[in-house]
Amino acid sequence: MAESYRRSRWSNALFVAPYLVVFFALLVFPLFWGMWLSLNKVDLFGGGQFIGLRNYARVLSDPVFHQAVRNTVVFVAVSVPTLVGLGLFLALALNKTTRGSSFLRGLYFSSSILSVTIVTLIWRIVFIPNDGLMALIFNVLGLEPIGFLSTKGWSLFSVGVATVWWCIGLPMMLLLAALQQIPADLYEAAALDNAGKWRVLTRITLPSIKPTIMLVAVIQIVMQFQLFGQALIMTNGGPAGSSRPIVMYIYETAFIRWDVGMGAAASELLFVIILCAAMFQYWISSRKEVA
Amino acid sequence: MSAPIEIANITKRYGALTVLEDITLHIEPGEFVVFLGPSGCGKSTLLRMIAGLEAVDGGTISLGGERIDTLPPGKRGVAMVFQSYALYPHMTVAQNMGFGLENLKTPKNEIARRVQSAAETLEIAHLLDRKPAKLSGGQRQRVAIGRAIVKEPQAFLFDEPLSNLDAALRGRTRLELAQLHQRLGATMIFVTHDQVEAMTLADRIVILNDRRIEQMGAPMEIYQRPATKFVAQFVGSPAMCFLPVTGMTDAAQGVTLDVEGAGKIEIDVRLPAGFRRDGASVGIRAEDAKVLDRGQPGIAVGVKVVERLGDRAFIYGTLDNGTEFVVEDSGRSTVASGDVIQIGFDPNALHIFDGDGRAYHHSEEA
Amino acid sequence: MADRSAFSPENLTANRTLFWIAAVLAALMLAPVLWILGLSLKNNQDLMHGTDAVFRAPYTLKNYADILVNSQVFGWFLNSLIVATGQTLGVLTLCSLAGYAFARLEFPFRRAIFIIVLFGLAVPEQAVIIARHQMFNWVGLHNTHIALMLPGMSSAFGVFLMTQFFNAIPKEIDEAAMLDNTSQFRIFWKVLLPLTLPAQATLGIFTFLLAWNDYWWPLISATKKEMYTLTIGIASTQTNFAQSEGLGFLSAQAIFASLPVVIVYIFFQRHIVTAVSGGAVK
Repeated sequence: MAESYRRSRWSNALFVAPYLVVFFALLVFPLFWGMWLSLNKVDLFGGGQFIGLRNYARVLSDPVFHQAVRNTVVFVAVSVPTLVGLGLFLALALNKTTRGSSFLRGLYFSSSILSVTIVTLIWRIVFIPNDGLMALIFNVLGLEPIGFLSTKGWSLFSVGVATVWWCIGLPMMLLLAALQQIPADLYEAAALDNAGKWRVLTRITLPSIKPTIMLVAVIQIVMQFQLFGQALIMTNGGPAGSSRPIVMYIYETAFIRWDVGMGAAASELLFVIILCAAMFQYWISSRKEVA
Repeated sequence: MSAPIEIANITKRYGALTVLEDITLHIEPGEFVVFLGPSGCGKSTLLRMIAGLEAVDGGTISLGGERIDTLPPGKRGVAMVFQSYALYPHMTVAQNMGFGLENLKTPKNEIARRVQSAAETLEIAHLLDRKPAKLSGGQRQRVAIGRAIVKEPQAFLFDEPLSNLDAALRGRTRLELAQLHQRLGATMIFVTHDQVEAMTLADRIVILNDRRIEQMGAPMEIYQRPATKFVAQFVGSPAMCFLPVTGMTDAAQGVTLDVEGAGKIEIDVRLPAGFRRDGASVGIRAEDAKVLDRGQPGIAVGVKVVERLGDRAFIYGTLDNGTEFVVEDSGRSTVASGDVIQIGFDPNALHIFDGDGRAYHHSEEA
Repeated sequence: MADRSAFSPENLTANRTLFWIAAVLAALMLAPVLWILGLSLKNNQDLMHGTDAVFRAPYTLKNYADILVNSQVFGWFLNSLIVATGQTLGVLTLCSLAGYAFARLEFPFRRAIFIIVLFGLAVPEQAVIIARHQMFNWVGLHNTHIALMLPGMSSAFGVFLMTQFFNAIPKEIDEAAMLDNTSQFRIFWKVLLPLTLPAQATLGIFTFLLAWNDYWWPLISATKKEMYTLTIGIASTQTNFAQSEGLGFLSAQAIFASLPVVIVYIFFQRHIVTAVSGGAVK
């Protein structure tokens, strides 16, 4: 549309200029500067020296990085289906206009507004050996208490429990919003067609919100690959690195050991992993669409 | 307060698509002109170009002798009423009406005076402190008109302002608009696709189709002497029926036409030399045909549907050759679907169209 | 049993059993919070002998009193408040201006720039944080409130959201204003901006929560104890996973630190839900 009052003018760009300055200075530039850093040997005191892909070689041959990648992939593979499945269940269960449903919706979403510090604090106190809520429950049931945060395998699991507890609100809300977009007359038509509840669910409800389910899955994959604070505060990656995720590896490399170039290389690798995972998920969903 | 509008050789393009081409139109001071046409014919675009909301790609627009197509919308001295009313949702009715005057730095008491007087004219004085969300559709419409009135513009522009109202309210508002025009005596341009609005409101109707003006004239002229087959088809309800003409011979008075399905008909009309015979047709309105008493010779119509409106009935059927035909009958008509009736008409009520769609009428001066 | 109630579409989608399972899960979800709440009301000494003391009186508010006396926590609270407020005001200003321009104005490369900004949505924090840290080092801005606020203002989400909100306002409103002889800036300021107030509230609350809860950036930018935000400060007081001393005080800290966001949530739940589901669902 070329309305006369909408003539293209440079002066109009003044409205976007303030944001663009911040956007380029604090997002675009750091993005490319980070890529440049990953090709340099940089430490705390600056002093870059171009070393090509050697940082990448170092990261890729670091067994600690391998372990972090394994931990993260396992974490994503378990937590994302849990979040999507549980979110879908809650959305279906609470897609009603009653007071009870709306209260429970508010409750399930409420944990999402807490900071990672609070969430981990709560769950650490739950998982503390001997004095935690879990230990108490195990004692009452006459079971041997587990050192949730200090046992290999259990530590990553505990981080996952805290994460699901923290993040369940968003998938549920997105799926609820999608459910509410399904026109009511679709269900009225289904009722006239004598469809039962199960058929309505599998033939009308789920197909209608399938794009949102996929969207939620991609969002969760991207988010959970960036697992950081929960692991850092709850287990500090332990024991023996068994719960150290990739972002924590980046953090330790760049900000504890001040091997900035290597940390940047690891972060670029994670960026690529996330993009690939999201695209793979997207590809899977669109391929099924065709079939 | 009212001024003439001069539209000269206006052209509008969206990229490669030409929407309006070489439109020229003169509007008298105080005239009520209606732009009528099917959706997408460019009638709203033309109105928005006068308002300054669309750029002009060629030609000029003048108001009261001053060229305005180069001015920003607010400086043109026109006011517009939008289809959606476009009231400012966060302002009260009074603020909505006074906003334009505020922008002109009009003194506060003058704004208050004009708002009050317009509100009284429109009978919305009791609503001045309300927000638009608290108003009914009809009330919003009045506020939109009031917002235009207080500016005391040289011309009013209406963009399908009645289409969001229900049928009863639309009829009433139509009457009120006509009264408003009489009282203000202002130049008004009104865009609509509703022919009843056009017929009842307009001093002059401008029919737009396919980038250009198809015909302009007084409402009855348009109805009775459509200039083209398009106008004949577009104006009038039910739509005019068309019968193809297969042959044509000169007669003592006018011509004799071979009309498919209706035989030979002699019409008193003078056709020019340039009349294109292939593709020619004749048209007749339902009210110009009548149902003949049983036994009288006429054209046989097999009745499909009878639409009874109370005071009259429309009989829809087909001729022997399958051409569809509509004829009006009285409200007490006893014709039923399945009947075969005989119809007749005055040959001079027929409209003749040549292959290019140009129309000729009885005793028209060629 | 035959269902004799009149038909309603909800009958086909709702399920009592599912609802009760969800209710039981909700109780499980609440359990840790209640556990913390209980601990926060206990004297630290009582808990030393076993946390099952939580089920027995006496209860006390001493832990909360300790927080208010402990100036450190209060200072962190102020830092969080300053940073979250500043970042919110910045985001609202920048995004309103940009959203208006992207939705309503023509300027060279408008579409291209908007698409580039949208790509910004896909950039994860870890891909930029190392370079950002170095940049703030260059200009010596670490351990300032400004440094904590600025990175959040580059988020593309707000621009996307505000552009959507401005697009949702009918163009006729602008056109009516133009015919009312309104200048471009006045149209933005007096006509359109007031109409985006609900959107401003949504984006504002959402930004405030994000800033309040931010973890990684303040962790590396605010290294001086007095510059900690509440999030970082409280994390710093937790020593190791097995710590069981001062559980009452720790729990009280958790409750205290979450009070502001919980209050914001209770009052503005609708806005927050709009923000997180805004644009995601077509």
